[in-house]
Amino acid sequence: MSLMTRRHFFGRAAAGIGTAALAHADSGAGPDGGLPGFPHFAPKAKRIIYLFQSGGPSQMELFDFKPELKRLQGSELPDSIRRGQRLTGMSSTQTTFPVVASRFGFSQHGQSGAWLSELLPHTARIADRLTFVKSMHTEAINHDPAVTFLQTGSQIAGRPSIGSWLVYGLGSITRDLPGFVVMISPGGGGGGQPLYDRLWGSGFLPTRFQGVKFRSVGDPVLYLSNPAGFPESNRRIFLDALGELNRMKLEEFADPEIATRISQYEMAFRMQSSVPELTDLSKEPARTFELYGEDARKPGTFAANCLLARRLAERGVRFIQLFHRDWDQHGKMQQDLPKRCKDTDQASAALVEDLAERGMLDDTLVVWGGEFGRTVYCQGRLTPEEYGRDHHPRCFTVWMAGGGIKAGMTLGETDDYGYNIARDPVHVHDLQATILHCLGIDHTRLTFKYQGRHFRLTDVHGSVVKPLLA
Amino acid sequence: MRMTIRTIPAAFFGLALLVLEQAGAASAPVEFNRDIRPILSDRCFACHGPDAGTRKTKLRFDLEAGAQTAIVPRDPAKSEIYRRISSDNAATRMPPAYAGLDRLPDRDIELIRRWIEQGAVWQNHWSFLAPARPAIPAPGGSTWARSPIDRFVLARLEREGVKPQPEADRITLIRRLTLDLSGLPPTPEEVDAFLRDTSAGAYERVVDRLLDSPRYAERMAVPWLEAARYADTNGYQSDGERSMWRWRDWVIGAFARNMPYDRFTIEQIAGDMLPNATPDQRVASGFHRNHRTNAEGGIVEEEFRVEYVADRVETTSTVWLGLTVGCARCHDHKYDPIKQLDFYRLFAYFNNVSDRGLVYNFGNDEPFMKAPLPEQERKLAQLDTKVVEAESRYANLQSAIAKAQRKWERSARRGAKLEWLEPENQTLRVKLADIVFDGKRVESRGDVASFNYQDEFSLAAWIRPDSPNGAIVSRMEDYFEGEGYGLFLLDGKVRLHITRRSTDIALRLETEQAVAMNRWQHVLMTYDGRRKAAGVRIYLDGEPQKLKVLFDELTYPFGPKEPFRIGAGGGEKLRFRGSIDDVRVFKTALSAQQAHAVALKDRVDEIAAIDPLARTAAQADKIALYFLEVAAPKEIRESRRRLMEAQTERTRFHDSIQTVMVMNEGAPRDAFVLRRGAYDARADKVTPGTPEFLPKPARGAAQDRLGFARWLVDRANPLTARVTVNRYWQMYFGTGLVKTSEDFGSQGEWPINQELLDWLAVEFMETGWDVKRMQKAIVTSATYRQSSKAPPELVQRDPENRLLARGARFRLPAEMIRDQALAAAGLLVEKVGGPSVKPYQPAGLWQELAGGKGYTADHGDGLYRRSLYTYWKRTVAPPSMVTFDAPARETCAVRGTRTNTPLQALNLMNDVAYVEASRKLAERMLESHGTPGERIAYAFRLVAARTPNPSEARVLSAALAKFEAFYKRDLKAAAQLLSQGESPRNPALEAHELAAYTGVASLLLNLDETITRE
Repeated sequence: MSLMTRRHFFGRAAAGIGTAALAHADSGAGPDGGLPGFPHFAPKAKRIIYLFQSGGPSQMELFDFKPELKRLQGSELPDSIRRGQRLTGMSSTQTTFPVVASRFGFSQHGQSGAWLSELLPHTARIADRLTFVKSMHTEAINHDPAVTFLQTGSQIAGRPSIGSWLVYGLGSITRDLPGFVVMISPGGGGGGQPLYDRLWGSGFLPTRFQGVKFRSVGDPVLYLSNPAGFPESNRRIFLDALGELNRMKLEEFADPEIATRISQYEMAFRMQSSVPELTDLSKEPARTFELYGEDARKPGTFAANCLLARRLAERGVRFIQLFHRDWDQHGKMQQDLPKRCKDTDQASAALVEDLAERGMLDDTLVVWGGEFGRTVYCQGRLTPEEYGRDHHPRCFTVWMAGGGIKAGMTLGETDDYGYNIARDPVHVHDLQATILHCLGIDHTRLTFKYQGRHFRLTDVHGSVVKPLLA
Repeated sequence: MRMTIRTIPAAFFGLALLVLEQAGAASAPVEFNRDIRPILSDRCFACHGPDAGTRKTKLRFDLEAGAQTAIVPRDPAKSEIYRRISSDNAATRMPPAYAGLDRLPDRDIELIRRWIEQGAVWQNHWSFLAPARPAIPAPGGSTWARSPIDRFVLARLEREGVKPQPEADRITLIRRLTLDLSGLPPTPEEVDAFLRDTSAGAYERVVDRLLDSPRYAERMAVPWLEAARYADTNGYQSDGERSMWRWRDWVIGAFARNMPYDRFTIEQIAGDMLPNATPDQRVASGFHRNHRTNAEGGIVEEEFRVEYVADRVETTSTVWLGLTVGCARCHDHKYDPIKQLDFYRLFAYFNNVSDRGLVYNFGNDEPFMKAPLPEQERKLAQLDTKVVEAESRYANLQSAIAKAQRKWERSARRGAKLEWLEPENQTLRVKLADIVFDGKRVESRGDVASFNYQDEFSLAAWIRPDSPNGAIVSRMEDYFEGEGYGLFLLDGKVRLHITRRSTDIALRLETEQAVAMNRWQHVLMTYDGRRKAAGVRIYLDGEPQKLKVLFDELTYPFGPKEPFRIGAGGGEKLRFRGSIDDVRVFKTALSAQQAHAVALKDRVDEIAAIDPLARTAAQADKIALYFLEVAAPKEIRESRRRLMEAQTERTRFHDSIQTVMVMNEGAPRDAFVLRRGAYDARADKVTPGTPEFLPKPARGAAQDRLGFARWLVDRANPLTARVTVNRYWQMYFGTGLVKTSEDFGSQGEWPINQELLDWLAVEFMETGWDVKRMQKAIVTSATYRQSSKAPPELVQRDPENRLLARGARFRLPAEMIRDQALAAAGLLVEKVGGPSVKPYQPAGLWQELAGGKGYTADHGDGLYRRSLYTYWKRTVAPPSMVTFDAPARETCAVRGTRTNTPLQALNLMNDVAYVEASRKLAERMLESHGTPGERIAYAFRLVAARTPNPSEARVLSAALAKFEAFYKRDLKAAAQLLSQGESPRNPALEAHELAAYTGVASLLLNLDETITRE
């Protein structure tokens, strides 16, 4: 790269929303930035909505129907199945590993005949739009490393998250909103495993690629509102004067950083109106709330976030990631799991349908899933009222829909215990490679040199899961 | 034809040439380290490099000998390397497409061709050879140079045909210097004093004043805290609190005292191992306990313990060696000669700390030490003296006590019935004489005896068991090992369970001895609230029992959700069979003497009747206790009370003193090469040692962590001094002489001016690693003092200012932006050290990620301290810091990024911290009494050191007028704006005027110049 091109590149790269992108409004290069040569090939999807279910939703109760288990109920998990698999510190002191069947019923749905739990009636309704991957597997066995692995391709903190990679590679579509937005909802219990900013962090990529968290309390974006007593008209006076003073400085120094700063203040001003407009749901018709559920009227719920996700997608946000907490059913499966499903089932299905109705599903990839699965054996108490399951990295289920992905199929199979994968394993790196592929990116060629190494989301692994592709 | 490739060590090579001229004229000499090694490293080493695991053939380009077969000096066409990289045939071209690498750019191919043509002179990697003191060049024709630094820079500029910039104006200089050395802006008075002082040495005097200020130490501490991944919480998902601020204050103190960098290094890596290590030196070793630790239930302990050791290795390598040793954790390094074995030999140095993988979530985990402040030490000594005095006074009373007790006993044995009680501490007493526990019966007593894991408590009961299994008393979920506490008989033994989650967060122990069936016995358990099995006692009939610890991991509070039950708890199978009576619960851990008293049925008056020589120990204890507590003459009771109070006061104060986690050498642990870096894939056992390509430790040096620390700062170590001075350079110029300040290896940048770097490194070592002296050398150089304004041609030619032909201009780091605003507003509270503080933060940030109580901002001083004291929660870092690119403190960071984003604009415009600072700055403007123009000029000086020029003043005055017109009309808006922040408002000032000035002050705090160091 010649020096001037490099400077141009860096100058441009130094803009951006702090955080992912609104890159280079000053460059005149159009809103879509990104790296030269990206996308690598024609993308099927323009954007992603990733509905992350944090804590490890139980595939045993929701997706992976195992009729044999009724018969095996209470029997000890055979060593031939467990095969020395490591356990968490929570169940490694357990002396017995009794198999427990799902206490929720399953039935088949749609043309595809997908088996789904009675806990997911809405998901069942749109089964033919979805593709289930029942053979997901991961390497980590505890939440922090496992979520970090799914989000960044490494269990160890410090790598960029998938959204940061995407915006780094592809740039942003919109000038008025960040390219990567994150929204969080607590489980109904208000608790669950904590999350942490690094999950949408940019790692060693410049911090402007990190996800911007849209919040349901206070300002939707930190520090968005003018202070009380300082209305927009004053802000305009302020910015005009500031711009004038900064332009004098620019004359004097010719430092491109000053030019960037001037444009970033203007971008901030635009966000002050674009974000409130986005989060104002008052103009959504009643039909919207019939579709997403009344919960969608309550800020901070998963349903409200799903609706916001659609609105963000409409406005050109590249990567929208929702995190719903409290899927960690070590115990009290019967009591707690239905609540999480109630939090998420209708709105997840509504989002897919809504996108389809608006003709956006074809170029929007929707992904639903957690960081690992749950064990077939019971953790803790096994009584008629109560049971639980521990973390299980060897298999879990995610579903995908929309841009670039086949509809109405199931990939992969687990053994009769739902413990090991019997067919078509899909590693986390494979899922990541596939997601990038849908966006027109060859995962081996989205790299960043750091500490002397060309890092990528999929480390040195991963291959695109071709059978999933439409 | 025989091949010869001349080898010339890099250090012997001539002056470094700028990358700018790399692609220069076809005749320009190509230099291996600068031009060729980076290409080979980046494009070839992965398969033809140091990693034996992935090397495809014998051909390797990291070693001269390995490359010979592919290179024919002076004959590119016959050189296989050139033929392959320039080939048009995709099947034979290198690098191959299957490696995911594109064809080399023409420029690189051409460079390699020319290098071969010029003789293919090989060089060893520059940074692995010890720096020698280079001769100071004497560039001619300039009086510009002030120091050797400048001569190195100027020699280079002459070759480039570039002229340096003249010195910056004095106002810019003093602002630059004051921000760089103290992290705060200069006051108008300081600026004036400097402008007035036109005598020789005025500049140096400012430098000295700044270096002597405690602010210098605080400023220097910040990058060190980032490198040391210092924080106030553990990280990982539970992210509980820890206390490392005593270590942070040690760092500040070390900079203030100008501790030489070699000692600074040794004490932090191995201060605990120094002979007769002082408490201070042990505190210093906390450096390597700053890494993240995991308290997530269910983790595999060893997996994370290994992670911590690896973090220590990686952090040490980055901070001292500038090497990416972490790459060798799973396999031999792909680019540098670091073998996987080397990683684990370094690992072995840090492997003997007696820390654990799963840590406590609510405070420091072992090993840690009490780290009292001097005033705390003084108070502790006073309290110790008080205890000793009280003990001695009480001891002097012993014969009087004995006499008084004998006298009292004579009356007691004839008197009324006397029973020893513990009414103050007893929270429950239940008599159940008539009740038979039949294996079904449950006696519930509701919400009483509610204790948690940090509470002292004692449980006592008389039991007459018919079955060896049954619950005596409990407050827990009613199933085996349910959450809560319970005292049981299991196989006849007395068993205590305190449980949060049976599988991993619990305390369980039992007596070695079983109780007798069908006989009344007294059982008593005491727990000292320190969450360890060692703090539990169980007494049978008043006698302490030997205990067997079954599980000792009580690390979380538990929730006693169900009622206090007698004869039940732990499920239906454990209903008591037999009799239980006189259940007593105490909110303290009873002493052995009290245990005797509780367990003994004999009444006090009955004991009094027994000949003292014939009494059992329990009887003697009980009557003595009763006498001392109830019956003794006032003087004796007072003396005893004073002693107990003194002891309690001492214990309480000692408990309140903060601790700090430190290193230790615990029982030696074997270290192994771990295949793929996985904790459970052990290969060969290894001993500690340093990488072979670097000079060996001094002969006779111990092969332990202390020996390693000394090796790091050995004069023969080629890296430490270079890496360190390069970071200092980065501080003042925005970019190091080696841009990749974290990587001095093959993939790192070749130094832009190696002679200068080496001169600085040698100077640093040979002047006793004198840190302040090195700062002074840099900031007094003409290079540093240049104006950052430059002709456009120069900016265009050298946009990143790598040539150093002008002063550096870059945005201030996060903490300086906030500290400067506080200082300009007159809000800054300067106090060195102490526990971290919690300034303003938008509500709900902690809860939405982790639930719980969330963040509670301080009031008063805590809102206005320098940002290095801001409480740092790793998983939810302070937003206004990370928005301005502060590293997240999860792992070691030595080179930050500087971005420019709208979120920064929103932060500076709308964050209450900056709105309040604007309001207070406005007050200062109005209090300064002058014309509006003078007030604006005053505030301008507070943030930018200079006065505004007429055009600037015009813009600001116009904005002020508009704001004033607005707030005159809207007094309510004025009142709202002025209510921001907790600091009081000067009531003497007119609201509309103050609000308008607040708007202008905010403008000034948002100026590009304000947040930039020019």
